Amino acid sequence: MREGVVIAGGGLAAQRCAETLRRLGYEGRLRMVCAESHLPYDRPPLSKQVLADPASEDTVCFRAPEWYASKEIELIRGVAASGLDVAAHRLELADGSVADYEQLVIATGSRPRMLPAFAAYRNVSTLRALEDARLIRELLEKRSRLLIIGAGFIGQEVAAAARGAGVEVTVVEAEPLPLHGLLGREIGEWFAGLHRGEGVELVLGHTAAQIHGDGRVQSVTLDDGRRIETDHVLVGIGVAPDLGWAADAGLSSAGVPTDETGRSELPDIYAAGDAAAFYDAFLGRHALSGHWESAGRQGAAAANSILGRPPAAPALSSFWSDQYGVRIQYLGHAHLSDSVSVEGDMDARDFVALYRREGMPVAALIVGRPGALPELRDSLSYMTERTSE
Amino acid sequence: MTLVPLIDPNACAAHGDCADIAPEIFRVDDIAVVIGTGPDELMIAAAEACPTSAIRIVDSETHEQAYP
Repeated sequence: MREGVVIAGGGLAAQRCAETLRRLGYEGRLRMVCAESHLPYDRPPLSKQVLADPASEDTVCFRAPEWYASKEIELIRGVAASGLDVAAHRLELADGSVADYEQLVIATGSRPRMLPAFAAYRNVSTLRALEDARLIRELLEKRSRLLIIGAGFIGQEVAAAARGAGVEVTVVEAEPLPLHGLLGREIGEWFAGLHRGEGVELVLGHTAAQIHGDGRVQSVTLDDGRRIETDHVLVGIGVAPDLGWAADAGLSSAGVPTDETGRSELPDIYAAGDAAAFYDAFLGRHALSGHWESAGRQGAAAANSILGRPPAAPALSSFWSDQYGVRIQYLGHAHLSDSVSVEGDMDARDFVALYRREGMPVAALIVGRPGALPELRDSLSYMTERTSE
Repeated sequence: MTLVPLIDPNACAAHGDCADIAPEIFRVDDIAVVIGTGPDELMIAAAEACPTSAIRIVDSETHEQAYP
């Protein structure tokens, strides 16, 4: 039993898990199975700096190759996990090899969802990997017209990058407002105004009805008859856990359910990041996160759990976005709210939207006011207090 | 007046922006830790860049808050 820890994945959760294991003194064998051929890298810059500046690619890797060597972390690159034999403690890899483990951390992340109607066209892409970001940057450099399906954060950030490059961009969103389901009408209207004010053609409440072009999308007719000409289509309609490789072991795109420390119900198997569904005591259920900050925390949590150490205090769901030079921060669970109040100047991009449920704060969206976050975090901290059970 | 950074361990998510901006002041392990001192402007720039607003800057003598 000298097989040590195998981490399936090469993203943030995997990296943070490996770093934490070594920092805490774990001396066993440690392998990371990375589906991509790159060194492990950070994804948030892909929809931000990397779209604007090729030089920023040099800074996306978490660590230099020497670091992995010095920490005795074996990187298996360009090979995806392809199967899992739970009883045998064996991870199967796409090149036919296997990695036997004492403990396995499933951190294979998520895959972008694709619209089946668009899938077969050559000039359609999603944004998840470094190559995807390079492609979008090259299109922006060529001043290609961009049609973005989905006004979530990926769609919004790419739209902002396109406008920053002076490129025409159309965003089509099926919901009546951007982020409507998460943040509600008033804030959805603010996001719509933000992008329209910067020159984004934002089409809300409509979907693509017909695609024109042979092999390449040349134009798209929407369900209201409007026709949009384009050079490229980016689909940004969310992600799903990347667990198809482990379907035979009973794992599904609902994520790997774990306790609050990242331990799954399967023997010696842990999970972290987008592929994991950690138990959330406040919500009273397992929940996918999909956010950078929780992926990092969960990677560290899994490492602590493997070593039998007490878990860190749970943190509230949070994320941030930078668009048109405005810092946008979010904290909590807005979907639980029954009211929202805005304090500040929405037109000046300087405000806090506080979401409440029965008078208690449950979430906050902070725009252009990073200094307001600590106090709001305090007011929401009751949501992560551990109960005695 | 001597300004020092304080990191809220419950807020820090180890983004690493502070260490990128001021590597002589911050290092990021599980979370960011303060490892040294540096110019006030750099300290405040790092606090402003933090995506989780986890860094407060205070005067170590008077405990007055300089940021946020």
